[in-house]
Amino acid sequence: MSDGPTFPDDSGSPDDSLRSGAPRAMKLDLTSEPERIAGVRKAVEAFALSAGLGTSSADLGLVVNEALANVMRHAYQGRRGQPISVWVDCDASEVTVRIRDWGNGVNPAAMPARAHDPATPGGLGLICLRSLMDRVEFTPQPDGMLLTISKRRP
Amino acid sequence: MSDLTTTTELVPTARKEGDAVILSLRGEIDLHNSPEVRKQVLDLINQNKPVKLVMNLDQVPYMDSSAIAVLVESVQKMRKSGGRVCLTNVQPRVKSVLDIAHLNSIFTITTNEQEAKSK
Repeated sequence: MSDGPTFPDDSGSPDDSLRSGAPRAMKLDLTSEPERIAGVRKAVEAFALSAGLGTSSADLGLVVNEALANVMRHAYQGRRGQPISVWVDCDASEVTVRIRDWGNGVNPAAMPARAHDPATPGGLGLICLRSLMDRVEFTPQPDGMLLTISKRRP
Repeated sequence: MSDLTTTTELVPTARKEGDAVILSLRGEIDLHNSPEVRKQVLDLINQNKPVKLVMNLDQVPYMDSSAIAVLVESVQKMRKSGGRVCLTNVQPRVKSVLDIAHLNSIFTITTNEQEAKSK
């Protein structure tokens, strides 16, 4: 694995794909080190901006940050070097991000909801996902989890 | 007023003014570096036992939930000894995360250090 997210040759940069009218998609492969989160967040934000998501691009970046942090802390329980794949694509109506891990498969959405307590910030990642995105789906896989999130264009 | 020693560039300055400790944070803070910020902030509280902790976020354009958790832990620690935490110069993206988490109520949020010191 490289130090940062990798961009497969067939995906191109988001700017290129938008200019050419080609499928607007990007794939990022990373491993489960927290220092990799910022690079992915910024790449997703740049993609979302170029896809016309406007001010919601920052929200999408935050949500991806939180989702990756959850994978690293919970699905992989802090183990480094574990694989994570991120796909980003857009169509005329929305930008969609899918995050795949090969961790313990625990579905965060199935965890019992806690009463909100401002002095106990645990679960803030899930709060961000649910309050900022239009769609949040955790799809259990035989060997991990697939999270799909999407945000409609303004 | 006396300057305090810090051990990380993420907390570039800290000083003691009366019963207050005023520190600044710097950089984008996420799961990667929030443990370093946590250690420094808690060390400053433990070593100086301030009544008021002012955290200047002027140079913090971004925080994720792990960084927000450090702020909340600071509040909890300060409250145990009857103290409180003021946040100042909160940047828009950080303010947005505090809003989402409904956390504004547990901090005193001011626009500058002078106002924080007087509250």
